[in-house]
Amino acid sequence: MANHLRFFARTIMVHEGNVDAAYKTLNRVLAQDGIIETVKRKRYYEKPCRERQRRNFENCKRIYHADMTRKLAFISKTHRQDPWVGC
Amino acid sequence: MYKLNCILVSSVSKVCRQVAGSLNAGNSFELQRAVCSSAVRLQEATPSTAASGKTSKDFSHFPPLPGQESPLRWGGKKFDELPIVHIKATYNNTHIQLTDSAGLSMVRTSCGTEGFKNVKKATPIAAQTAGISAAAKATAKGVTYIRVLVKGLGPGRLSAIKGLTMGGLEVVSITDNTPVPHNGCRPRKARRM
Repeated sequence: MANHLRFFARTIMVHEGNVDAAYKTLNRVLAQDGIIETVKRKRYYEKPCRERQRRNFENCKRIYHADMTRKLAFISKTHRQDPWVGC
Repeated sequence: MYKLNCILVSSVSKVCRQVAGSLNAGNSFELQRAVCSSAVRLQEATPSTAASGKTSKDFSHFPPLPGQESPLRWGGKKFDELPIVHIKATYNNTHIQLTDSAGLSMVRTSCGTEGFKNVKKATPIAAQTAGISAAAKATAKGVTYIRVLVKGLGPGRLSAIKGLTMGGLEVVSITDNTPVPHNGCRPRKARRM
């Protein structure tokens, strides 16, 4: 941070004194960029074997969730074109 | 955790036949949510202000760049001349230090200086008290508008800023300065509880 432009990255302006909203926005930005989970993870050392297990697990979880949301979206799509028009 | 991984792998191997399609869906979803946090990407995005959260009053979530002239002034001062409040929110304590724009320290408080001891320092209430007392000392020195720099993920992270506002200071911007090493020093070993 010291080598980069100060007060530019990870900065949110406060609008009309609404500090809570600005803090929430900041938290959301940090979470979306994965900074909060990185900081939490780097608090203690994570051995390479544990890191490989965690990455594998996260990959599988991502694939599973993507497939599940796809399946649910397909099942919940009830308004379809009538395939048996006229019968 | 490892057993859960094995169970998931076996379940996933039954489920995913169209892995490529779902992977693409998953990855592009993550990419789309990349809000700018690096200076380079922000500089590219500032010309296209359509998606930068501008309300009808021309408010931008991004701070004024030092190179560009902006008409915003707080108490007659430009953004670069406002005093800075450094809040270091560790897991056991919260330190608050008010410096001017050059970095010279003016006010310094912490949960310990407020009379809290040991575990009570690691509470949001202690951080709020420290914020209020820091704000009182700052207003005695004639400070109104401040920029806040937060470091660390501790219990006093938000309540210190709240305490500053309750004490009468106007927060202009909040920056997160939590140190993120790009794999530098090795931290201590994992706790086994």
